[in-house]
Amino acid sequence: MAYDTALVFPGMGPVPFADVGRFMVAHPVARELVAVADDALGYSLVDAFRCSEGDYSEAAQVAFFVNCLASAYWAVEHLDVTPDIVAGPSFGEKAALAYTGALELPDAVRLTAEIARCLESYFAAHHKDIVTLSFVRAPSEELDPILAELDDAGEWHEISCHIDDGFWMVSLAEHRVEWLRERLRGIGSLPLYTMRPPMHASVFAPLRAKAEREVVSRYTFADPSLPVVADQDGRLLHTGEELRTMLLDGFDHAMNWPSVTTALRDAGVRRMCVAGPDSLFGRVPRTTRTFEVVAAHPRLAMTPRRRTRAA
Amino acid sequence: MWDDQFEQILRTFLPFLPPQEPLTTDDELKDLGLDSLGMVQLLGTLEDAYQVRFRDSALTMGTFRSAGTLWETVEGMLQRTTS
Repeated sequence: MAYDTALVFPGMGPVPFADVGRFMVAHPVARELVAVADDALGYSLVDAFRCSEGDYSEAAQVAFFVNCLASAYWAVEHLDVTPDIVAGPSFGEKAALAYTGALELPDAVRLTAEIARCLESYFAAHHKDIVTLSFVRAPSEELDPILAELDDAGEWHEISCHIDDGFWMVSLAEHRVEWLRERLRGIGSLPLYTMRPPMHASVFAPLRAKAEREVVSRYTFADPSLPVVADQDGRLLHTGEELRTMLLDGFDHAMNWPSVTTALRDAGVRRMCVAGPDSLFGRVPRTTRTFEVVAAHPRLAMTPRRRTRAA
Repeated sequence: MWDDQFEQILRTFLPFLPPQEPLTTDDELKDLGLDSLGMVQLLGTLEDAYQVRFRDSALTMGTFRSAGTLWETVEGMLQRTTS
């Protein structure tokens, strides 16, 4: 079967309340989802998000999830997007679960909030010194010798995300970050940001087990209404069980965006709608040179659109 | 002060700067809409336009703080190339 249009839910980046607050309270599609989220959470998502501290608080995570879903429904309604296949790199997995019906929306909201709490409690006690550093312009042949130096020094590190050619996220001990930045600059690479909590590394297998035990095991995953591309290796997933495994793999397996774009291209996808406050996945060269990208950003949804007069 | 080419290139990466608004040395580029991916694209565009290669201390976020800091870096590389 050939698929023409992919719906992609982006991984999460920092999104200030000021960027999306108006969308959440004033946009009819978002408002409806926020109301469902409020019921599921037992508190006001907008109020909690407005007052929350840090880029990755529980409220910020649920808000990102809701805004991605709302953007997708808006795109289907207003941007002539009819998804045939779905992907959700990293955090985007959760919105992919909800959109495809693998989880009902209230369950997906609760799961997102509970995983956020699980992450917070885990990293408060474990791996306190590990961060994830993102950087660009580092071809494998020049990066590998640098990582080999870390190996030689007995320093743990792991590639957590591969975004595009030369664009990586590597998890490592915080005290080696400055050294790595320096070495990267030496090969013409630009180090971007460090993130905490870190994600997607085999050393987090105990976090996976904790999340499975305390959160994921309490939910039943239905078969998705559309195929979902696994963000770890580009496999096409068709069952609830496979999606559950993908969600758990997200804790301790690296995310690989090139494998997703390759799988989508091979499946015949021509058009990609990236739904939500994305500043990365819909913009990297690998995506833009392969697909016609429709950026369904909350900002666009809030831009007044000219009404078309009925014939 | 920078040349016309620099300002022309830079403005294409600053979505929040209206065309008629002047660009000043100390304007924070982040506030004018330059995000991290824009920074990466801007870097490549400047390298192609000026035939320079950003390396080492030029590759920090501080380089992209303002039009002034960015031009200072480009100008420094151009001077090294011609000397």
